[in-house]
Amino acid sequence: MNRTIGLISTNYSVPGFGSVTEVRPAASIPFGGRYRLLDFALSNMVNSRIQTVGLVTPYFYRSIMDHVGAGKPWDLSRKEGGLYILPGTVFGFHEENARFLFRDLLHNLEYLRQGDGDYILVSSGTLVANIDYQPMIAKHELEGKPVTLLYKKMQPGEKRPGRYLTLDGDTVAGIRRADEGENLLLDSFIADKSFLLRMARDYAALDYMDFLDILAHVLPEVAVGCCAFDGYVAFMDGMEDYFRASLDLLDSSVRRELFQSDRPIRTKAHDTPPALYAPGSAVKNSVMTAGSIIEGSVENSVCFRNVRIEKGAVVRNCVLMEKCVVKAGARLENVVCDKNVTVSEYTVVCGTAEHPCVLAKGGVV
Amino acid sequence: MRKKECVAMLLAGGQGSRLGVLTEKIAKPAVSFGGKYRMIDFSLSNCVNSGIDTVGVLIQYKPSLLNRYLGTGAAWDLDAAWGGVHILPPYATQTGGEWYEGTADAIYHNIDFLDGYDPEYVIILSGDHLYQMDYNLMLDFHKLMGADLTVAVKTVPWEEASRFGIMSVDQDMRITRFAEKPKEPESNLASMGIYIFTWPVLRAALLADHADPESDKDFGKNIIPTLLGQGKNLFAYQFSGYWKDVGTIPSYYSTQMELLAENAEFRLHDTRMHILSNFNEHPSHFIGGDGRVEHSMVCNGCEICGEVYNSILSPGVTVEKGAVVRDSILLPESTVGEGARVERTILNENASVAAGASIGAPGKITVIGENAVMEVDV
Repeated sequence: MNRTIGLISTNYSVPGFGSVTEVRPAASIPFGGRYRLLDFALSNMVNSRIQTVGLVTPYFYRSIMDHVGAGKPWDLSRKEGGLYILPGTVFGFHEENARFLFRDLLHNLEYLRQGDGDYILVSSGTLVANIDYQPMIAKHELEGKPVTLLYKKMQPGEKRPGRYLTLDGDTVAGIRRADEGENLLLDSFIADKSFLLRMARDYAALDYMDFLDILAHVLPEVAVGCCAFDGYVAFMDGMEDYFRASLDLLDSSVRRELFQSDRPIRTKAHDTPPALYAPGSAVKNSVMTAGSIIEGSVENSVCFRNVRIEKGAVVRNCVLMEKCVVKAGARLENVVCDKNVTVSEYTVVCGTAEHPCVLAKGGVV
Repeated sequence: MRKKECVAMLLAGGQGSRLGVLTEKIAKPAVSFGGKYRMIDFSLSNCVNSGIDTVGVLIQYKPSLLNRYLGTGAAWDLDAAWGGVHILPPYATQTGGEWYEGTADAIYHNIDFLDGYDPEYVIILSGDHLYQMDYNLMLDFHKLMGADLTVAVKTVPWEEASRFGIMSVDQDMRITRFAEKPKEPESNLASMGIYIFTWPVLRAALLADHADPESDKDFGKNIIPTLLGQGKNLFAYQFSGYWKDVGTIPSYYSTQMELLAENAEFRLHDTRMHILSNFNEHPSHFIGGDGRVEHSMVCNGCEICGEVYNSILSPGVTVEKGAVVRDSILLPESTVGEGARVERTILNENASVAAGASIGAPGKITVIGENAVMEVDV
């Protein structure tokens, strides 16, 4: 009997994505050729042998539902357990860095109560990493603290706004928000179900807060454990992060870690034919995906399914999402094209390596 | 009792001995084809696209990979609550067990399976043909003609007619004569091995055929000639689309190479094509800084750091630095080592070419298995 059930929150906005999150929640941003950000959270749960996963949706959940369906690609369409769609509350107010709205938990207590799991593993839906949660679950069980937080040791000088942990040995002594620090919380934790239910009872009046902020307040009275993750992590706080993480995939060690075959990242299948490379095509140092037809040149880029690069077109340092068409003679450099973008003949679009130019979904330039 | 109008029976038990090392470990319908497909995908996809949701897959020879690949049938949307994919192996009875002795015998042994769906029609298919066909049109024809049996036929060049089962027809497409691989063909309408039977007629014919100790228990050799002799209504349904039997190494090789042609007759990228497969677990593929890929098809999961020209790379293939692959078909999870040269070669699943090796030559097709090498002159 598996004692841990999962909960993934996608009910939060990430302000740094501009047009990309106008048409979808951050969790369903396409990533890595054929995935969506949410695939990592879902796959990490099932690869850690969790067979019951609740998914807290934002109010514009169409693209998430379209993608996850009944959870079949993750083996979450099951008689026992499986995928539970949990309606998220509409934002009362907008707060940067909020991940786990306490209200979302309170509104879905039934999900916690009905299953027979003892622990609940919670994660955000936008982190790109291949995480085996089993060591964290084991540590949580062994230490017997009501909550165990997942964190990453940051490189000195590395900047990343988020919640940082002050550690006292194996115990969390403080949680504070900062732009940089040593131990960055990875928006993921495991908690005793009984503890969460008690918190829900005692702190219901604070339903507008983020659960982690409430946890920071009760820290002196509650023993909170921690578990380090030292693998590759791509944070997704905005377009610059997205662009950098996409191009990180050109590094074979990153690809090998993220897409390891014994803990595969699963996604909705699309049955596209193989990619077709025409005579004269020139593709170098790029991640390419099935269904595409390539006649032109591509370098240092990530191309999704069913992309079309016509003769004489040049694509460099770009991310082209599904069904983008780059017409003959066009040139793109440091550009992120959302789905279904068409770049007309001999059109030139350039961004910079730090600030890629983003073309909105369905656009024609 | 609930009924199915039409149930498909897919003959997938053959060894496909002419494919040599490719079928050393797996049945012919499980052989990888066109990059991300296995041969059975084309017939299965045709079933789904034609609204046939009940498919019996008759297996016998080396079925383990085929069974695993088919799974629940979910990859083809064939995991229906009533219907779906059913794997039908030979089985034991109170009087012992028997292998399927012929194509008709395989169906005979599954009369109970078919009775369970009480179909009006049964369509018999092969798992080793490349084509896209709407079986509904053929079924409409079968009903319109009031046929007992309809055989799909394709016009073939006269000089090739003696390689096929040839149907002679009158002006209404009624079959008047059937000749298996005739030396002097009187028609060039070749049987595609696709039959629609009215179920009670087939059922009676199978029972009679089983009782005949002289019979080879084969549709082409026994069932069709017998029904013709009995004066049953046999019609030929002319199919004008693309259709290829890929049962030999030269046809397996050339049919796939033709997929690469700019004006290919069978275009996998045609938006009207809808071929489903169960090869969807790999991440996107990667072409390295020194990699080069031209005039080729590449599937997800490949890592290409060498050069690839005029070739087909199945899911999970690795081409290491400095390797050059030309005019070749690399099957799933195969590897070409650093600096190796590969030409006109079929590299079987999981097989590898050692670093620096040189394989293949013009004028012949080299097939590399995990433990075997085979050369076929063309």
